[in-house]
Amino acid sequence: MELQVEKPKSNLFKIYEIISTMASRPSGLIGLTILLFHVVLAVTSPLYAPHDFKAIDPSLMLLPPSSEYWFGTDSLGRDVFTRTILGGRTALTVTFFGSIIALLWGGALGIFCGLVGGRIDDVVMRIIDAFLSIPWILAMLLIVSLLGTSTIVLIPALGFFYGKGIVRVARAATHDVIAKDFIVSARARGHGNLSIIWNEILPNVRDAIMVEGAMRWSWMLLGFSSLSFLGFGVSPPTPDWGLMISNARGLMSFAYWAVLAPIVGLSSLIIGINLTADAFAKALGIDRSTKAPV
Amino acid sequence: MKYMLKVFSATLVSLILSFSIANASSGVFKLSHDLGFGKDTNLDAITKGRLFQVVIMTQNRLVRKNLDGVTSPELATEWSANADATEWTFKLRKGIYFHDGSAFDAPDVKYSLERVKDPDIGSPAKKSMSSVTDIEIVDAHTVKMKLNTSFADFPLLLTDYRLRMIPEGSGDTIGQTGIGTGPFMVDKFDPEGTTVLKANPEYWEGAPGVAEVHVIAIPDGEARVQALLTGQIDMNRYVPFSQKRIFDNNPKFNVSVVPTGNWRGMVMRTDTAPFDNPKVRKAVRLAVDRQELVDLVMGGAATVSCDTPVAPSDQYRLKMDCPQNVSKAKNLLREAGYPNGISMTIHVSTKEPTWPTIAEVMQQQLAKANIKADIKMTPSKSYWKETWMKKAVAMTRWNERPADSILHEAYHSGAKWNESFYKSSSFDKNLADARGQLDFNKRKAAYQNAQKTLWEETGTMIPYHVSKLVITSSRVKDLDDVEVFSIQWHKLKVD
Repeated sequence: MELQVEKPKSNLFKIYEIISTMASRPSGLIGLTILLFHVVLAVTSPLYAPHDFKAIDPSLMLLPPSSEYWFGTDSLGRDVFTRTILGGRTALTVTFFGSIIALLWGGALGIFCGLVGGRIDDVVMRIIDAFLSIPWILAMLLIVSLLGTSTIVLIPALGFFYGKGIVRVARAATHDVIAKDFIVSARARGHGNLSIIWNEILPNVRDAIMVEGAMRWSWMLLGFSSLSFLGFGVSPPTPDWGLMISNARGLMSFAYWAVLAPIVGLSSLIIGINLTADAFAKALGIDRSTKAPV
Repeated sequence: MKYMLKVFSATLVSLILSFSIANASSGVFKLSHDLGFGKDTNLDAITKGRLFQVVIMTQNRLVRKNLDGVTSPELATEWSANADATEWTFKLRKGIYFHDGSAFDAPDVKYSLERVKDPDIGSPAKKSMSSVTDIEIVDAHTVKMKLNTSFADFPLLLTDYRLRMIPEGSGDTIGQTGIGTGPFMVDKFDPEGTTVLKANPEYWEGAPGVAEVHVIAIPDGEARVQALLTGQIDMNRYVPFSQKRIFDNNPKFNVSVVPTGNWRGMVMRTDTAPFDNPKVRKAVRLAVDRQELVDLVMGGAATVSCDTPVAPSDQYRLKMDCPQNVSKAKNLLREAGYPNGISMTIHVSTKEPTWPTIAEVMQQQLAKANIKADIKMTPSKSYWKETWMKKAVAMTRWNERPADSILHEAYHSGAKWNESFYKSSSFDKNLADARGQLDFNKRKAAYQNAQKTLWEETGTMIPYHVSKLVITSSRVKDLDDVEVFSIQWHKLKVD
């Protein structure tokens, strides 16, 4: 009798499988579609934006939606449609890279603490707890007040503040793994910590960390837009949903169009990311509902 | 007959009662302040952190501007000068009492005004009193002020909103008590919460129409608009014109537009590169389209200014045109050694709701002259402390003052609030000449020369003087339709 050995699946195939599983659920399909729509819009919108996003004109102030200005104009006479389709570019870019930074440092530190345990783990986790007790918005305001609001500042700062929660998730996932036999075997074979992390722990905690990272992305997006809303995110005249909402919120009762479009843009993207992250978790077999909130 | 008498007596009593009730102070009038000086906020009118919304209701000046903007008596009833206007004699109102029961007389005047010059206090109003060398008590109700120069407009200086009369010797406590002779008395001072004022029933112009005034700290401009909409406050004098349509035709609010000498502007520090070069400063000012700013930011409700801080209605204002001139701006930059233009960061906050919008419009206008402007938001709570007069370029706003006051206070080489750190001996000389000049036309020429110098050299870009949009709740009655420092607060009523 011949022994059948199953060929290992390629990474590309695995990704295809995950996406197929995600898309097989209606919520996953909706989430993926919205997210894809926003990503495509962010990449291609400069090619077909109908007006100059920064052109001000007193004669065009607060025009209602029309065939020329689909979403109307704002208080400085700028086209709201143009600014809305361009408004997610900075937010998506900053928060995407911010999430990657959060994943990298949060995941690495969490796994390390989970593996080494002892006093180092205690000290690091108490420091993380201390940071978690500081309202992120205050800390971010302090940072941008001191260092400015350039993307070079915002990406690492957001990445740092949103990575704290990932540390705890990665540490908890590592604790689940380190008691298993294959870790004991690896130690018996004389493997060092780094080798154990890379070859034994990471493949087993990666899914949990990535799902957490995806969820953090939508929170970070909301956080970044809050900063912009307060005037500490994107600097004018760059179009940004948070800034647009902030500028137009006082006009809501008579120029709803100036505030409605960015609100729809921002909330749809957050919903899209959330649905995608949920579907992602389910496709990987992670039940987020049983996990304690971190 | 007996029954008729009873009915008549009862009617008479109720009539008297209703008349007394109608004339008694009643109701609460609520307004806000922006907590601009944080914990330094106090009730000493001459200090930087003065909470002017309170002191203008609790303390009086010697001289004020009446509703027509003309100098008129307040605690001084009349005044006269010697032949060369170097000595001014003021007769004081009799029978006036402070909130603590002490009588107001000449020593209080001497004390109140001499404090302004006290170097330990470091009052920003010091310049207004710099020409006064001595205050002599002639009798209990007469003071003579001696000046170091002829000053034909001296009483105008005393209309400064900070030159308030306080009890002699109260300097150490005035910051918390706010005691004065005004229509309202401080009941509770809470700069970061709600400050409560109670009506002064003995006020010399008549008992106030409202029983209490609540002055609430709301640092954010947008939050103040929301507070008005939700009825948390009854008056907002800082509503942006872009939001006027919210209140138009709304029976819950009264809308009025009051032309003022208040101005908004952008300050470039003249001691900081590249703005230490007058050509760069003028290039920036020339690159701005002021009329477009008026239209976009103020909805047209403002008067274009060519960088003069003097109010449009002031007799000494220099009238000139200053249209945007991009090519001249570029030439000036080239001559100053910046052929490829300059970059700058404009610091703003929401303390003044229009600042971010002004900066955003200017950003586009300046770009045409190769001036790249970034906009940086700073915390509104600490704006005056941490940003203004600290950063190279920052937004500013000033309330109306007489020409001599504002020119001295914001531009004189030795002024505490010389926000652009501007130093010009010719400008200072013009101001000195104006003060000493008894001939009106020559005095006017000197003040206007000083303003011409500003147009050439100053670091403060003033695009316009605002017309103020004043929104009050419809329950507020008899509020004078004038600038805040001329309002007769005792006449105000609320339903």
